[in-house]
Amino acid sequence: MKPDPIPPSMEAIRLWSGVECPNEAARLGLADHIGLLKELEALRGTLAFEDEPSSFEAALRAEQEKEA
Amino acid sequence: MSALHELSMTEAADAVARGDVTATALVENCLARIAAHDGKVNSVIRLDRDSALEQADAVDKARKAGKALGPLGGVPMMHKDMYYRAGKVSTCGSKIRRDFVPKVTATVLEKLDAAGAIDMGTLNMAEFAQNPTGHNAHFGHCHNPWRHGYCTGGSSSGSGASIAARFFYGALGSDTGGSIRLPATICGVTGIKGTQTRVSRAGVMPLSFSADNVGPLVQTARDAARFMRIISGHDPRDATSAREAVPDYEAALTGDLRGVSIAVPQEYFFDGADEVVVKGFDAALEAMRERGAKITRLSCPSLRAIAAYTALLSRSEAAAIHAEWMRERAGDYSIHLSSRLYGGYPVPAHLYIEALSRRGPLLRQFCAEAMTGHHIVATPALRTRVPTLAETDIDADAANWSRFMAVSANTRPFNYLGLPTISIPCGFDDRGLPMGLQLAARPFAEARVLAVADAFQRVTDWHKRHPGL
Repeated sequence: MKPDPIPPSMEAIRLWSGVECPNEAARLGLADHIGLLKELEALRGTLAFEDEPSSFEAALRAEQEKEA
Repeated sequence: MSALHELSMTEAADAVARGDVTATALVENCLARIAAHDGKVNSVIRLDRDSALEQADAVDKARKAGKALGPLGGVPMMHKDMYYRAGKVSTCGSKIRRDFVPKVTATVLEKLDAAGAIDMGTLNMAEFAQNPTGHNAHFGHCHNPWRHGYCTGGSSSGSGASIAARFFYGALGSDTGGSIRLPATICGVTGIKGTQTRVSRAGVMPLSFSADNVGPLVQTARDAARFMRIISGHDPRDATSAREAVPDYEAALTGDLRGVSIAVPQEYFFDGADEVVVKGFDAALEAMRERGAKITRLSCPSLRAIAAYTALLSRSEAAAIHAEWMRERAGDYSIHLSSRLYGGYPVPAHLYIEALSRRGPLLRQFCAEAMTGHHIVATPALRTRVPTLAETDIDADAANWSRFMAVSANTRPFNYLGLPTISIPCGFDDRGLPMGLQLAARPFAEARVLAVADAFQRVTDWHKRHPGL
C-alpha cells in the first residue's frame, strides 16, 4: 500500500509557509489534489515549455477575430 | 411603459432621458422592493438610502435644467462589496475586512458615476469572492429568489440574486472562475466577463492577478453591451489593462444570426451533466440554428490540459495573497474558505510557472481547435441542476467538497483562456430553477458574444421572466 501523501504535504506547508491545517475540510481538500496530480502527470511530455510567461498577453492580441 | 421594476437597465436609462420617469421614482421603487423582499433573499450588505435619493434628485434637477444625462443617467445600481469607494467600508464579504475603509475609489465606479448611474450601496458576496455557491458565514447565505434554500451561485451572489429579484437595474460582479457567469446562470440573468485585461481592476479587491475580471450582471445582453462599453478600456491606474479600442457594443446588436458559426466541444463540458441541462442546452442551440446559425460539434483535445492548469493558477495566487491572514487569523475565515486557501500552499512554484507559461500556447491551441471557422464556442454554463445551499455546504459537512467544487467546472476554463464569455438564461430545470447558456468568442470579441446573446434574447423570453416574490 502506498503511504498517505497528506501528512507530508501538511508538514511541507508548515515548513515553507508557516500555515497550519485549519480544519478537517482542509485536509479533505488536500486529498482532492490526488486527482489533479494524476491529470498533471498525464500531461507530462505533451506540451512544450515557453520561455516567457508574458506570451499570454501576446496570444490574446494575436488570436483576435479576423475572419472566421 | 412596463412596471418600473420590469424595465431593463437600458429601458430605465432611456425612460429617464426622455422624461417618462424620474430618477427619484426609480430609486423610491427600488428601495420599496428591497424593503419588501430582501429579508428572504439577503442580497444587500449596505443600503445608502439617503445618498441614493440625493443622487437621484441631482439627476432630475440636471434634466429639468436641460443638461444632457450620461448613458446610465438616473439608473439605480448596487455592487458587490469589493469595489472600493474612498471613505466607505468595503467588507469583501469577510469578517477580516468587516471595518476596512479604502482610501481609493475603483476606476469602474468612477466610470459608472461619470455615466450617471446611481450607487445605492453594496451587495452580499462569497467571502473574499471565493466560492461558487453563495454561502457566506459572516453576512448570512444569499438565497436564490426563485426558490429559498437553493444556491444563488457565487461569488457575486448578491449581484445575481438582486438583479433576478428586480431590486434595481445593474450590478458589478467579479469573475475569477465563473463568479459572474454562475450567479447569472443560477439566478436567471445575464452576466459577462470580458477578455482578460479588458476592464480595469484598479481599486478592486484582488483574488487572482492572472484570472480576475470585472463585469456586470444585468437583465439583457443589450444592458450588458452598454455597461461594458462604459467600463472597458485602458486605465493608467491598472498597468495590466488592455489598450485595444473599445467599440460601440450596442451598435453591433443586429439580431442577425445568419452566417454565425457556433462550435460545441464534445469533451469535458458534458462530463456528468444532468439530462435536463443537456436538453435545455440543445433546445437553445436549435433556437439559434432556426435563426440561421450553423452548429458544429467538434473535438477539442486541449481542454484536458486547460482544465488541469486552470486549477493551479487561482489557488496559488489566492494562497499568496492570503498567506499572512492564514498564519495569523485562520479562525476568522469560514471553514470552506480556509480549507480552500490551504489547498493552494502545496502547489510547487515550478508547476505554477508552468501553468502561466503554457497559457499562451494553450490559448492558441484552443482557438485553432475550436474557433477555426467558428465565431462562438457554446457550452452549458452549469453541468447540473441548481444545487441547494445544504448539499454544497462544506462548513456543515466536509463531505460536500466535491459537489461544491463541481459547480464552477464549466466556467473556470474560460478564465485560464482569458476569452470574453457571457451567460444568458436558456430555460428552467425540472425544479423550476434557471439554466444558463455560456457563449465565448476570440479575444476582444465582446461585440460578437453580445450580438449572439442579444439575437437569442430577441427570439426567447427566458431573460424577461422573474420570480414571484
